[in-house]
Amino acid sequence: MGAYLVRKTASFVCVLFIISALTFLTLQVLPGDPAQLLLGTESSPQALAALRRELGLDKPAPVRFGQWLVDFVQGDFGRSIRYSVPVKDLVVQALPVTLSLAVWAVAVSLGIAVLLGVLSAAYMARWWGQVVRIISQLGMAVPQFWIGILLIQVFGVQLRLLPAGGYSNWQSLILPIATLALPRTAVLTNMVQVGLSDVLKSDYIRTAKSKGLPWRKVLFKHAFVNGAIAVATSASIQLIQLVAGTIVVEQVFGLPGIGQLLLNGVLQRDLPLVQAITVFVAVGVLIINLLMDYLLMFLDPRVRFE
Amino acid sequence: MRYKLGLAALAVLLTIAVSSSALSATLNVAVSADPDTFDPTRTVAAATVEIAFNIYEGLVKAAPDGSLVGALAAEWDVSSDQKTYTFTLREAFFHSGRKVTAEDVVNALNRARNPEIASRWSDFALVETIEGEGNTVVIRLSQPNAAFLYTLAEVNAAIYPAEAEGLSSQPVGTGPYKLAEWRPNNFIRLERFDQHWSGQVPYYDQVVFRIIPDQHSAVLNLLSGTVDLIPRMEASVYHQVASNPRIKVVSAPMNLVQILAVNNQRPPFNDVRVRRALAMAVNREDMIFGAAWGFAQALYSGLSPAMAQFFRDGLENVNPYDPVRARELLEEAGADGLRFTLTLPSDYPLHVQTGEIAAQQWEAIGIDVDIELVEWGTWLDRVYTQRDYDVSIVGLAGRLDPHAVLVRYTTGNSRNFFNFSNPEFDRLIQEGLSRQGSDRIAVYHRAQEILAQEAAGVFVMDPEQLAAMRQEIQGWQHYPVYVVDAASLYE
Repeated sequence: MGAYLVRKTASFVCVLFIISALTFLTLQVLPGDPAQLLLGTESSPQALAALRRELGLDKPAPVRFGQWLVDFVQGDFGRSIRYSVPVKDLVVQALPVTLSLAVWAVAVSLGIAVLLGVLSAAYMARWWGQVVRIISQLGMAVPQFWIGILLIQVFGVQLRLLPAGGYSNWQSLILPIATLALPRTAVLTNMVQVGLSDVLKSDYIRTAKSKGLPWRKVLFKHAFVNGAIAVATSASIQLIQLVAGTIVVEQVFGLPGIGQLLLNGVLQRDLPLVQAITVFVAVGVLIINLLMDYLLMFLDPRVRFE
Repeated sequence: MRYKLGLAALAVLLTIAVSSSALSATLNVAVSADPDTFDPTRTVAAATVEIAFNIYEGLVKAAPDGSLVGALAAEWDVSSDQKTYTFTLREAFFHSGRKVTAEDVVNALNRARNPEIASRWSDFALVETIEGEGNTVVIRLSQPNAAFLYTLAEVNAAIYPAEAEGLSSQPVGTGPYKLAEWRPNNFIRLERFDQHWSGQVPYYDQVVFRIIPDQHSAVLNLLSGTVDLIPRMEASVYHQVASNPRIKVVSAPMNLVQILAVNNQRPPFNDVRVRRALAMAVNREDMIFGAAWGFAQALYSGLSPAMAQFFRDGLENVNPYDPVRARELLEEAGADGLRFTLTLPSDYPLHVQTGEIAAQQWEAIGIDVDIELVEWGTWLDRVYTQRDYDVSIVGLAGRLDPHAVLVRYTTGNSRNFFNFSNPEFDRLIQEGLSRQGSDRIAVYHRAQEILAQEAAGVFVMDPEQLAAMRQEIQGWQHYPVYVVDAASLYE
């Protein structure tokens, strides 16, 4: 177990280093630089040179990456070029928005998906089992931004029940969470349903049924736990994918989250900002993966640490 | 008894809540981007100017008609050799409560011209000395410059306390509003400043600039009442508010020159006949209708009609729409079978759509156009800085003085990414700085004629600025520069 932790930590650090180096490299390869973007179509070579000097862009790339790495390890994330404030402040303000979006979206979609998936798998033959299947196919096909605009139009503009955008309180998050949760509910419903149908066809379920166990007990106690393994893996992938999903949703709803920050950072070549967010997101993904390893081990005793 | 007391307390609380909400008026404004910094010597972004106009003031400031009025200077005097400017300061206070002194002015303007720290120091390159004493500030120039006073109206010449620190996120100015809170990517909240020198108190206690990058979201927010005003609404979403009785839209020229930029040095565009052919093949009416939904004025040279005093009217017949003649010009220049790349900045739908229409019209006279979409950072690098392009399109923001707009077409100017070069034009722009009154106007009229005749580029349109707001809001002021004047609004 101790060796396992050491190995895991070492691989964490390696992955983070590679990711930050790749991010740095990508922004170097992209044409355009932040000084140019700040000055726009009114810039002169003198002003550009002065600003580049001030931002430290005149130093060679390896030196800048090294400097960034040393500062970052010491907890100094640098100053955003685009917003002229410490990157830390920006991330701290944006993180709660994105986290509540992601966690709630996964919780809501998981809850609904398990319910609908189990019902439609158990009652495949009934007409509403088919309806759930059709709706979940539809939900997977509709683009996310379109769902968002549709929800704003109905609940924000027509009915005026919820804010149409911006971020003032928890109510501002309801429509974005719904937008994020809808396609995920569809995917997860499908997962639960397919996974469970397979399990329900297996021999041990037939045995359970034939020895006279109540149907409810067969379904939830015997079938569901096996079906849950696939669902759990898929849910963790969904949670990671949500980071990408929030960029679109934050843009549509004008939410001040990590996605919005990252997008602006890339467009403005704001290296300190992009670097910090990428590393944070990577850490988040690694932690989720680790937790998933543990969860799978718990669900499936056959999985063991190697 | 307890129950009654509770009820009474509730009633009192309710009354307070109701009356305070009736007293405090908040204006919510949708803007698409955050400021870059609130430090006036460093800022370069239009998004900052738009908001900072309410916070900072200089010695003089722009009026809606483009003229200059006194701000922190009550009056000023220009010496007969046009080289010495003497300003008399009025009694004014900073947001910190301290009185504005001549030392503050000297400090701020010296910083504004310091190449080490100022982003626009070159605008002040002609300044020799700045001296202050009592309530007088004297600025001496090395040579006459008719455009100088306009430089002092820009945000980069704003006055702040000499001891101020951390202006980038905590601005201290003298304007009618002061910054209360800035949440990047979310909002910028301004509060009314009660000690403004004008003695006038703005109607709104608070102005909240909400950052909403997406135009559709901004419009939906306006429709749902979360936002009261969109100062710069894209024409493509106009139809969403046009028929709504609760919303009104006010429009005026934006003072922006949209130009299909042609690389004048790159063959065959170094032949004026080829450039004229490109100009004569475009139908601006189609472009204005197709890309700007009819909300624009056609342009034929480098100044917008928003600069009424200097605008040269009647240039539409220099290179009129004539596809037949355009094809002949190409043949005369030996450029039939011309093929080039049109680089479009994908961040600007108006420019992309205008470019696509231009491409169709050029293809109609036998030119083969390859369209290439690039993101803004790439555009600035390749087209603007390296000048590695055939034909592109962009909007050039207007200024208050024609010199600042037209100087970019002079030979060797760092902003001249068209590589345009004409000796007479260069001489005129130099001359314009030392001329006065109608002489000066004549110089810029001639300069605009040259740009049209030489087809420095294909000037397309000045799109209208559409300000969409709640029906009740009154007092909206259009300026020829990029600002939202919140203090003039009321309902």
